[in-house]
Amino acid sequence: MTKHARLIKEANDTTLRYITRRHFLMDCVAGLGAAAFGSFLASCGSSNSKTLVDASGNPMAPKAPLFPARAKSVIYLHMAGAPSQLELFDYKPALQKLHNQLCPQSLLEGKKFAFIRGVPKMLGPQAVFNQHGESRAWISDHLPHFTSMADEVSFLKAVQTDQFNHGPAQLLMHTGSARLGRPSIGSWVTYGLGSENSNLPGFVVLTSGGKTPDAGKSVWGSGFLPSVYQGVQCRTKGEPVLFLTDPEGMSRDLRKESINAINEINKQEYATFGDPETLARISQYELAYKMQISVPEVMNINKEPDYIHEMYGTEPGKESFANNCLLARKLVEKGVRFVQLYDWGWDTHGTDEGGSIDYGLRNKCREIDRPITALLQDLKQRGLLDETLVVWGGEFGRTPMQENRDGKDMPFLGRDHHVEAFTMWMAGAGIKRGCSYGETDEIGYSAVKGKVAINDIHATILQQLGFDHEKLTYQFQGRPFRLTDTGGKVITPILS
Amino acid sequence: MKLLISTGSWSMFIGRSHPLLVHLPIGILLIAFILTLLARREKWRHLQSALPTVLLAAALSAIFSCITGYLLSLDGGYEEKLLQTHKYLGIGVAVISTVLYGMERYKNRFRKWQVPAVLVMVLLLSAAGHYGGSLTHGDDYLTQAMPAGLRQLTGMNKTIANAAAYTNIGDARLYEDLVRPVLANRCYSCHNEQKLKGGLRLESVALIRKGGEHGPVLKDSMPEESELFKRLILPEENDHRMPPKGKPPVTPQELELLHWWIAQGAPTGKTVKELNKTPLMMAVLEGMQPPTPIDKQEFMPEDKVAAVSSSSIAALEAKGVKVLPVGAGSNYVSVDCINAAGFNDADMQLLLPLKDQLAWLSLAGTQVTDNALPVLAKCHHLIRLDLRNVNMKGKGMSALNACGELRYLNLAGTGVTDEGVLSLRKNKKLQQVYLYQASVQPVAVQQLKKELPKLLIDTGGYRLPQLASDTIVYHKISG
Repeated sequence: MTKHARLIKEANDTTLRYITRRHFLMDCVAGLGAAAFGSFLASCGSSNSKTLVDASGNPMAPKAPLFPARAKSVIYLHMAGAPSQLELFDYKPALQKLHNQLCPQSLLEGKKFAFIRGVPKMLGPQAVFNQHGESRAWISDHLPHFTSMADEVSFLKAVQTDQFNHGPAQLLMHTGSARLGRPSIGSWVTYGLGSENSNLPGFVVLTSGGKTPDAGKSVWGSGFLPSVYQGVQCRTKGEPVLFLTDPEGMSRDLRKESINAINEINKQEYATFGDPETLARISQYELAYKMQISVPEVMNINKEPDYIHEMYGTEPGKESFANNCLLARKLVEKGVRFVQLYDWGWDTHGTDEGGSIDYGLRNKCREIDRPITALLQDLKQRGLLDETLVVWGGEFGRTPMQENRDGKDMPFLGRDHHVEAFTMWMAGAGIKRGCSYGETDEIGYSAVKGKVAINDIHATILQQLGFDHEKLTYQFQGRPFRLTDTGGKVITPILS
Repeated sequence: MKLLISTGSWSMFIGRSHPLLVHLPIGILLIAFILTLLARREKWRHLQSALPTVLLAAALSAIFSCITGYLLSLDGGYEEKLLQTHKYLGIGVAVISTVLYGMERYKNRFRKWQVPAVLVMVLLLSAAGHYGGSLTHGDDYLTQAMPAGLRQLTGMNKTIANAAAYTNIGDARLYEDLVRPVLANRCYSCHNEQKLKGGLRLESVALIRKGGEHGPVLKDSMPEESELFKRLILPEENDHRMPPKGKPPVTPQELELLHWWIAQGAPTGKTVKELNKTPLMMAVLEGMQPPTPIDKQEFMPEDKVAAVSSSSIAALEAKGVKVLPVGAGSNYVSVDCINAAGFNDADMQLLLPLKDQLAWLSLAGTQVTDNALPVLAKCHHLIRLDLRNVNMKGKGMSALNACGELRYLNLAGTGVTDEGVLSLRKNKKLQQVYLYQASVQPVAVQQLKKELPKLLIDTGGYRLPQLASDTIVYHKISG
């Protein structure tokens, strides 16, 4: 065989390898019924007439939402592990009176808890509450700075979930399903709106607290959406994005040339097979090349003035929630669509000092109090809060009962996971200022008024970004999927 | 379950075979129609011999369909007017198929009438079939599914208005808006002018008060004594229960509503808020509050504008400027220079073709200066203007007074001075101005605030106090 023939054979073999079972089945569909395929394609795009890929072939090209939106960007602050609403925002004096008494049987019958067994004791609020601002919102002394923000936010006091373990609950909170495989909120948003800044990813994830959330990286995964829409994790310590720097000795020009060559080949591949993942790969290469310059620049907080550092309580070079809050502001300022913060360490069972209501929780509160307040004020003074939706919350709440793991007393005060009622808040971008929606009963056990489901939160986030949550869909496995699945109601009482 | 319990009867049973049986005459008559036409040609003459049998079968099945249809109509629950139309058309089909059979027997005499007769038959058949479909599926079954173009063509472009006539439940009229729809849904189909079951009509309060053949059904202020309510709460097995077996029952909310209406003396024209409510009733009414329509979107001018030409968009996009409609289907556009840091005063001319459509503009971080203001002044629909970190002094800022719709103006990080800011006083619709790190003195801010008391002016520069809690780390004291 000549060299030439060998090359041709190799090329043919490679091509054949690409024709997988999926491609074969897809071709079958096209062959069997062009009409059916036509309607399938039409339903593939989101409702806003633009399909997944715009004329330029860039899946991240900015797109218009369905209607004029109140929010351009979202900053989602997730306290992984679930903070106790009873020590922060949901003030229950009646629970104090029941402190240390045995929990009435009526609260336990037919209920399942992650760790509570037998009959636990009630645990009164372990914080001092006061009313703040003109809205007279109850906020505890755990968050002394945040009390000044009482009139900026809308509290949701009766959020409910149906998952009492961290992993599934976090998945539900961020993908709309307790099981793996669905796209996260940020992926849906970048799928629907694209990315404003062509040099930065549209969906950035920042973590703090030493660990990533229990549910793993799926909480910022793209699920069945093309992988170009998954969250890009950036780090505040070391290289901002892993594997982004060129190897030693490779010049930027050479890198540019090689990426151009690879993309040229990929474009031919796309022309042949039409697999959207190829497009995803092309734009990922292009973005990665641009990010080599743009990300270190935006992730560098050293250039921020001293008073900003003082305001947030940042320490450059450290992995901290404060640094992440400052970065979130910088990223939103640069047009990043969705900034997701995860702060780990809020799981206060009372098993050890760090994971306790009496010590650990207070220390976690100190870590977020200043940064969150600074973030809201900083966004506000730059005129960005008006177009940035800020969401704060955990994956569930904590019980009004004291945890008694294995029926034993714990070394520290703790509360178990609680699904029936917990507090979240939203601010900015058309959310009412100084509003409180929903109520729990007098001991904070169950929601009695203004209940909010997780997909209601998703519906509201999408609404503020200019989407009808029922219309932002993606065709997968033969049916259109959406973030809110079959539920979801926009929480209109907190919209201004 | 309900169907299993309900006692049937032969007439009901046979009646319910109507939807199946009707398809026989339809099919057979269409065959007869085709055969008749074909048999007129020499080549197909032999088909003629099949016609008598086919027409006989058609006539018999049509007659039998009429009988089962009549039995089914006794079952009730159909819209009277539609039912009557369908009934007479159906009988018409049975009659004409019998006549056709007769004509076939004496075909020598009726030869020239044969084709017109089958044509009439097909028309009757189609009409009867259509109204039958409307009876079972609802008379908007077909039109609902019409594509927009066809709908326009057939003049059926009226929207199906189903929205509540009130936005607040307190403003709803108890009888007109709440009780009557319940009666219309659950009762009118039997207690109307044509059907008159039990000699009772319920279409108006006067008719309700008149009662039926067993006497009055309404005793003022005494729901428990009124047949109109009593019958609704009888046990399911009771023969006097209304609505009767097999019909969708009244929901608990509707029940409470009727009870309340009768207890209030069956008023008309009274709104909910004028009447006394029990706590239970308040809960029921709360559940009936129509959802607040979501129109919390960002403000957009109502003026209709033409779409921006694609060439002017392309010219901007070539500079890296992002031009998008503010929402799908809107001609107003949002222009963002986030990827076009080099955008300068000369480039501003590119915005002129968009001056009518430009609603949101971000020039943040670009090279534009005060010289851009005259172009901005021409964008009379401008609502949001972001000039963050732009090298502007605010000279000639009064030009922005021409932007009468301006609501959001971000001047953070600009060199805009007192004079510039004060000229904004004529922008009466302005809601938010951001002046963080601008060269504006507090006095000017106060003065502007005085002129426009509702304006939110944010000069920023927030500081957080140092608190002891910022540094205290909590630890259990051992020992």
